[in-house]
Amino acid sequence: MQSEKMILKHPLNVRIFHYLLILSFLPLAVTGLILYFKPLSEASMNLTMQIHVVAGVVLTIDAIGFLLIGFDRVVLFTKRVFNISINDFKWFLVLGGYPQKILLKKKIAVPPMAKYNSGQKLFGVCVLIGGTVLIFSGWILWAFPHLVPRQTVALLGLLHTFFAWVLTLFLLVHLFLGVYMFDDFKAMILHGKIPYDESKEMSPLWVEKEIVPLSDKAA
Amino acid sequence: MNVTAKTYQKGEIPGVIAIEASTCKGCDACKRHCPTGAITGMFGATHSINVDLCLSCGQCLINCPFGAPYETSDTVDEVIAKLKDPKVTVVGIIAPAVRVAIGEDFGLPVGSLVTGKLYGSMKKAGFEILDNNFTADLTIMEEGTEFISRARHAVFGEKNEHGGEIGPLPQFTSCCPAWVRLVETKYPTLIPNLSSAKSPQQMAGTVAKTYGTKVWKKSAENIYTVGIMPCTAKKLEASRPEFISAYEYNKKNHSAASKPYPDIDTVLTTRDLSRLLKKLKIDLAKEQEVEGGTLLADYSGAGTIFGNTGGVMEAAVRTAYAVITGEELQPLEFKKVRGLKGVKSASVTIKDSKYNKEVTLNLAVVHNISENIKPVIDEVLAGRSPYHFIEVMNCPGGCINGGGQPICGNGSSWLGAVRPWFAWA
Amino acid sequence: MENKKYQYIENPLHVTRREFITISGIVVAFLALPAVWIKTLTSANNNYIQARTKGLYQDDEKAAVRVSHANKSVTRYYKEFGDKPLGHLSEELLHTKYINRTKGIS
Repeated sequence: MQSEKMILKHPLNVRIFHYLLILSFLPLAVTGLILYFKPLSEASMNLTMQIHVVAGVVLTIDAIGFLLIGFDRVVLFTKRVFNISINDFKWFLVLGGYPQKILLKKKIAVPPMAKYNSGQKLFGVCVLIGGTVLIFSGWILWAFPHLVPRQTVALLGLLHTFFAWVLTLFLLVHLFLGVYMFDDFKAMILHGKIPYDESKEMSPLWVEKEIVPLSDKAA
Repeated sequence: MNVTAKTYQKGEIPGVIAIEASTCKGCDACKRHCPTGAITGMFGATHSINVDLCLSCGQCLINCPFGAPYETSDTVDEVIAKLKDPKVTVVGIIAPAVRVAIGEDFGLPVGSLVTGKLYGSMKKAGFEILDNNFTADLTIMEEGTEFISRARHAVFGEKNEHGGEIGPLPQFTSCCPAWVRLVETKYPTLIPNLSSAKSPQQMAGTVAKTYGTKVWKKSAENIYTVGIMPCTAKKLEASRPEFISAYEYNKKNHSAASKPYPDIDTVLTTRDLSRLLKKLKIDLAKEQEVEGGTLLADYSGAGTIFGNTGGVMEAAVRTAYAVITGEELQPLEFKKVRGLKGVKSASVTIKDSKYNKEVTLNLAVVHNISENIKPVIDEVLAGRSPYHFIEVMNCPGGCINGGGQPICGNGSSWLGAVRPWFAWA
Repeated sequence: MENKKYQYIENPLHVTRREFITISGIVVAFLALPAVWIKTLTSANNNYIQARTKGLYQDDEKAAVRVSHANKSVTRYYKEFGDKPLGHLSEELLHTKYINRTKGIS
């Protein structure tokens, strides 16, 4: 039981969307790398591809489902990640203070951030654009490579490979920091809540401008 | 090259098409275009070609989005060497489909008719021109006469003049080497139904080294015939060891014994010829239009439409009608056999002027055989086919969309329904 | 798992109506445009076949002679050398036999 004040950061529909993302994207990334480097035998490559396809279908259903059910959250997320200012440029110059915190155990001044810091916003943009391109191109490559014009399929194949690499590499950063920031980890993976005081320090603009007390309304 | 290939005669090229393993992504697009299921390899794993099932048609090659299939036979440099050899007369045998596609390799719009520029470019390179449309006309004379003989035998019991055997109906065209190989490897009982006429390419090779010696005033040993074809299977066809008819004829008649030479020495696809011209710094687009030069480049409109699905049938009907009825077909356009529908059929009721009786001929045209041939063949095998004469072309649309044509990046050969195909195993 | 004890939530009015409509429009366009693009490309994917087909029929239409039996050079070939269609010389030079290759197939 927490005695401190808590903010509901990630409602249930958002968390369910994210669980399915984890369940689908991790196999997609791993099988994707195998498909790229082709190190296995014929039967294993076939199985790899089958897993890749099934996970891709799950990802597609998850994405379309959330688009329909949580359309307001999608709009909100889009607004947040494309909201760019000079603070983001300055944040990147110090890499958000993370290398200093992790490697040098030193705390430095960081420009004030909203709900998502600059790195998270960049990741969000990559996921929105890259995820859409991967899903769209993935379906064409699986189901229609024989009838879509061949140079278009080749182009989609190139885009698929490019965004797959971008997201897979960026994912490693996301996985690391997502666990390292343990309060946020609990918020997204478990109960959706984050301590007020923690948030005030990491996301001051969010707390100042967007957070309101819960009134008599039930959650 | 598959050393265990079992369906090839000695001398034939086994495996005209192969797949580059490092490029192949295992997406299965090629399998959907293959008429014989000759592509092995599970979905997601690299694919390879079973040469005993492969027809060498090249549909996989022109449709693969990643360019993984490639041709194992490339004789461009050999032809250039012959062109530069003053002792050799190099004869280029140009298929109909080449003239409406080769312009694309030189920046001209898709489908541009560039016959004159093609002649000019090839002459500049040192070729003599033998237009395969001329031999297409010859094929109509031979195959049309054969069909009339089979039909009159079936309907009126007419016998062969020399007392030889007359083939059964329905008669299948035999100009498509992929189709011929399909019959030979999968439906050998249909071999008697195939027209005994050679393909125009092979007739051209034979004519070039017999009658052609009088036209160009050169000896057969010094004539080097090059098929310029929209088709990769023609490379296999030219390598068939029995196709040395000119050599055998000349040996019989001139007694100048020499080493056997094939009727067609080598085949260049349209793509190959474009590369050859570019290697010789000849820009087809900028060439002046010229004439073919000899009677061996003289062709009719019936010959030139051979490249389209339905073209052989239409050309045959124009002549068969005239021979049977004694009158010219009016109008000449036989639109019922034109277009991209998988199986087209038409009935022609005409009065046979020799027997003074009406006959109805049922004609069929099949192309894109990976999608369309099976029901037609099953009917023939069961003895239930309503047709008397069937044109078969392996490639969707006919030779104009052959495996040797310039690759059109913004197109695909898929003529079927727009539906997903979920690869799995 | 879900502990309903939290004291603060995000203000649902953070996104204004105008912003909502604008962003919705962009999201929908971003998703719909690729579909339209692919549909347009795919419906034209046989155009090159039809263009080449048309080219050959045009070659036929403008030809002086449009039937094989009226090709004077073909007539000359038979007269000077080939004799007649399906004659002995034709059988020897212009006709062939086929091979049963099924023994080799597994």
